[in-house]
Amino acid sequence: MGLLYGLIAVGLALIFGLMDVTNFAHGEFLMIAMYLSFFLFAFFAIDPLLSAPLVAAALFVFGAVIYLLLVRFAMRAKANAGMVQIFTTFGLAIVMRGLAQYFFTPDYRSIPQSWLGGKTISIAGIFLPEPQLVGALVSILAFVGLYFFIHRTDFGRAIEATREDPGAVALVGIDKNRVFAFGWGLGAALVGLAGAIMAVFFYIYPDVGASFALIAYVTVALGGFGSVFGAFAGGIIVGLVEAVTALVLPPSLKSVGIYAVYLLVVFIRPRGLFGSI
Amino acid sequence: MDKDFAARRRRDLIIAAVLAAIAALTPLFVKDVVVQNILILTLMYAGLSQSWNILSGYCGQISLGHALYFGLGAYTTELLFTKFGVLPWFGMLAGGAVSALIAMGLGYPFFRLRGHYFVIATIVIAEIGLLLFHNWEWAGAAMGITIPIRGDSWLKFQFLRTKLPYFYFALALCCLAWFVTWWLENSKWGFWWRAVKDNPEAAESLGVDVFNSKMGAAAVSAFLVAVGGSFYAQFVSYIDPESVMGFQFSLLMALPAVLGGIGTLWGPVLGAAILIPLTELTRFKFGGSGRGVDLIVYGTLIVLISLALPRGLLSLFSRPKKTGAAR
Amino acid sequence: MTALLETRGVWQRFGGLVANSDVSISVGRGEIVGLIGPNGAGKSTLFNLIAGVLPPTQGSIIFDGEDVTNLPAAARCQRGVGRTFQVVKSFETMTVIDNVIVGALVRNTVMREARRKAHEVLEFTGLAARADVLASDLVPAEKRRLEVARALATEPKLLLLDEVLTGLTPTEAQTGVALVRKVRDAGITVLMVEHVMEIVMPLVDRAIVLDLGKVLVEGKPADVVRDPKVIKAYLGDRHAVGA
Repeated sequence: MGLLYGLIAVGLALIFGLMDVTNFAHGEFLMIAMYLSFFLFAFFAIDPLLSAPLVAAALFVFGAVIYLLLVRFAMRAKANAGMVQIFTTFGLAIVMRGLAQYFFTPDYRSIPQSWLGGKTISIAGIFLPEPQLVGALVSILAFVGLYFFIHRTDFGRAIEATREDPGAVALVGIDKNRVFAFGWGLGAALVGLAGAIMAVFFYIYPDVGASFALIAYVTVALGGFGSVFGAFAGGIIVGLVEAVTALVLPPSLKSVGIYAVYLLVVFIRPRGLFGSI
Repeated sequence: MDKDFAARRRRDLIIAAVLAAIAALTPLFVKDVVVQNILILTLMYAGLSQSWNILSGYCGQISLGHALYFGLGAYTTELLFTKFGVLPWFGMLAGGAVSALIAMGLGYPFFRLRGHYFVIATIVIAEIGLLLFHNWEWAGAAMGITIPIRGDSWLKFQFLRTKLPYFYFALALCCLAWFVTWWLENSKWGFWWRAVKDNPEAAESLGVDVFNSKMGAAAVSAFLVAVGGSFYAQFVSYIDPESVMGFQFSLLMALPAVLGGIGTLWGPVLGAAILIPLTELTRFKFGGSGRGVDLIVYGTLIVLISLALPRGLLSLFSRPKKTGAAR
Repeated sequence: MTALLETRGVWQRFGGLVANSDVSISVGRGEIVGLIGPNGAGKSTLFNLIAGVLPPTQGSIIFDGEDVTNLPAAARCQRGVGRTFQVVKSFETMTVIDNVIVGALVRNTVMREARRKAHEVLEFTGLAARADVLASDLVPAEKRRLEVARALATEPKLLLLDEVLTGLTPTEAQTGVALVRKVRDAGITVLMVEHVMEIVMPLVDRAIVLDLGKVLVEGKPADVVRDPKVIKAYLGDRHAVGA
């Protein structure tokens, strides 16, 4: 599970690390991904696992569009820059939730019959739920892929360069807006991937984004803003902490462990574990 | 120049007095309970947002976890009342004190955080508070506390037959928050806060005690918000963790300030005057299955304001002098 | 007469890098002292150490007879150390006069007094006409003067100026020089870090040259400029420190 958190978080971290913008609507991106998976399944009977790439691609476009239409302007603000970003994306989150409620109704949905749903594998005597396992696998693959992308490809390096100095890159022929739009798209796609998989074993409803969103922010902050690896590591830590807490404390307090760990880490290292901001 | 400044200060005070007087007279004309309700909530949120503004607007430490203090105020008051028979008037002060102390206690380890890390920490702390209360048997856990109401009583600050006292209390609270802000704005603290917000390093070089400034802002802010929470508890007569410590309160305290003009004297009041009635009305009209509509309106408004007017609506009215030709 | 400021055997290390090594200087009351040296000499670090931004790895700093080595910046300001920043750090959302009031509040806790003092300082530094302008709307030269004005409002005994004259047009620079002289005439001791030799040398009473973290030479400007060690430090072939 931690790895899935990592996946969600990585998408967030990417966007943040790239442009110093925290996307408070990230949870809602997840929600959309889940709904998309659901509808693809409901109307076309495509198994979520197969439709995952499709969902990711759709989210990619969505993310890029959001950047171009909205975020780009938010970043131009000179006064209160931080607040503007926070509230713009937050407003977006609320609008998305409202739209979801309006169009999809607040009912809970779920995908009952999936290629993976409800099955378990036994590895070395421990029963593990298949969907989560696949999710974890996908996360790792996605992360590795992302790592190579950023560090080995030209485009990946363009992203890094744009992060370091958005003004200067124009001189080298890099279009800042294209890079950012891509970044957003990528971040959204990653969370889309997570959403598609999670749709298999979580209930889907308009507010579902909110509960995961906070964990995602904590994960990114824990790992340190600006570090993709940090987000991944954060995800793993969060997943573990959550599991341990669930054993020790009553279920409703499950998140307290995560929060406490965040506060502790950030007290000791105000920039998170690997943060560069 | 000083005369201009003093005149401006007096003008603000006079406007406030006039507005307060008008507000105080409205119950004579407005008898509709629903509208009264909206007015009471508007005043309360104006007061809350104004208080939030002290820490987050003036001092620049954006907190999205103020619901914690709201809830603490509510719970302290009601626990003292239902378990020990302490009158809510004293309970309110106790709630305020508790919140202020906790705000300072939290400040100690966490004021060193910058920007996003700090905001998330505030959210997380409020969530922890909520979860703790959710599991605290003595405080009612998830069932919450119901305040027993036996008829109208000023002593116990509960009223069944009329909402008027609540209205006046909310008005008083709003005025208090506004006045405190007005007073502190032109005080050493106000200047220190703004310096800390703009450039803590420079502030330090000018002898500003950055840490204590933040503590002071946090304490004042938390105290006022807690009193608001106590009020709310008495107003709705029932509290449980979600209904007084939920994230939505943290948001509702911040949004009016952002809308109206964060870090300004009138911003939160203006923002609340617009946002709260809008929220309540849309919820009222579109309540039910189409519930998302109020969120859509709400969210869109926030997005538009953030993009178009990062300094809030108030910036439409003030035109700062660009080229300073001397008077 | 005892020196106003003394550093005794100050070392500053950042990990493996030695920024200041065994620096012992003193600044007497009423002097204008220039702290100069090529890039990377450790001037800014020493400056920050004196200002109290960070404590030295080793050594002590005595100000007005008191050991302030472990006092943070805000406390040193209260003792009478004022400073400006090389990269101007104005309070952008506040007006010019409000900026200065922040400084004035150290010694004048009553608002009316602080305001009065701020007006005085603005007159002194020639910014009175811009009092109600937002700091963000000032031109760079004015922002520099605001930096100085703010620090002056704290009524310092020692004013630390960090490259206040760098990058100004000749006219602006002359105004700046006149201001520094005015500050000294008002009884404030000045320690200034500078790059622009032609402007600084006629202004200061004494010059201290740093190179590679150490004090190279100190003395009257005319002597220092002719010292062969100084010439070599500035013109000779130098590789980066720590290479």
